Amino acid sequence: MSETEENKWGIAHVYASFNNTLITVTDETGAETIAKSSGGTVVKQNRDEASPYAAMQMAEVIAEEIKAAGLEGVHVRVRGPGGNLNKSSGPGAQATISALARAGIEIGRIEDVTPIPHDGTKAPKNKRV
Amino acid sequence: MSERSVSKQKRGKRWYSVIAPEQFDREEIGETVAEEPDMVIGRTITTTLGDLTGDSGANNTKLTFKITDVGSDAAYTEFIKYELTRDYLRSLVRRGASKVEASITVLTTDDHRIRVQPVAFTTKKADRSQEKAIRRVMIDQVEAAAEERTFAEFVDSIVEGRLSSAIYGEAKTIYPLRRVEVQKLTLEARPEEVAAEEEAAVDVDEDEVAVEE
Repeated sequence: MSETEENKWGIAHVYASFNNTLITVTDETGAETIAKSSGGTVVKQNRDEASPYAAMQMAEVIAEEIKAAGLEGVHVRVRGPGGNLNKSSGPGAQATISALARAGIEIGRIEDVTPIPHDGTKAPKNKRV
Repeated sequence: MSERSVSKQKRGKRWYSVIAPEQFDREEIGETVAEEPDMVIGRTITTTLGDLTGDSGANNTKLTFKITDVGSDAAYTEFIKYELTRDYLRSLVRRGASKVEASITVLTTDDHRIRVQPVAFTTKKADRSQEKAIRRVMIDQVEAAAEERTFAEFVDSIVEGRLSSAIYGEAKTIYPLRRVEVQKLTLEARPEEVAAEEEAAVDVDEDEVAVEE
């Protein structure tokens, strides 16, 4: 564990799309980044970047880093693609949170911050097989 | 990452504890890290009402504070936004019932311009005319409240739910309501900004505006 005896909190911004998962841990204002990671840092194949496994690996690395920085716990802000795209978050979101919790990071509030349009541009048409 | 940036990072970052404004008992709401004290100014920090007051039942409200002043290891904030969490708002929406929203911009007695967004949920589908009447009540109530309160008092009345229950009391005679909340309150302009706008505003004569034929 860290030497600093402080119990600071941070915010884990988790952007889970269907092609990748991005985790950024910042301080409570969201202005200073403490640790960040994305799918490409732990898996070889592009298509695995969004997988729950990649998210777990990333979360473990992140957990080490933020412990070293003296954070005790994080509030989580989960985000899916949003906008005119899919409103639900990808497979990496759940995995990240549970892996962080298992790595001994306290989880505070979990909030969904997917951008919801108040009507904007038309959504892309459905992909045909 | 270059060597320089690493050494710079190691050297001078300090933590500042963020202090809530007087209105919220100068509670510590979090900590932020920065190289220079000036960099802290303008950052925003969001917390829930429950965290701030120690009442764990009230976690559906988010309060946003903006850092305006910084001391040696403390940063002082002002209140800029009150908001209900998205999941709570979603949980109130029911099928076959109406949701009446309004967005009202008012000036408080101490010249803060604020935007208030109350929302009411009915028990069953309300008619358009009833929705309109409820919206009218909301606008009247908010405007009346703003006329006799300062910004701080206004925020208090919303945080404690007095404004929403006032709207509830009056609007339930129009149509049975399930719940009334203020979903958002944002600070739009401080007194200085309002004054500056008035300064900049020009009186326009009606004939000058008239379109040339």
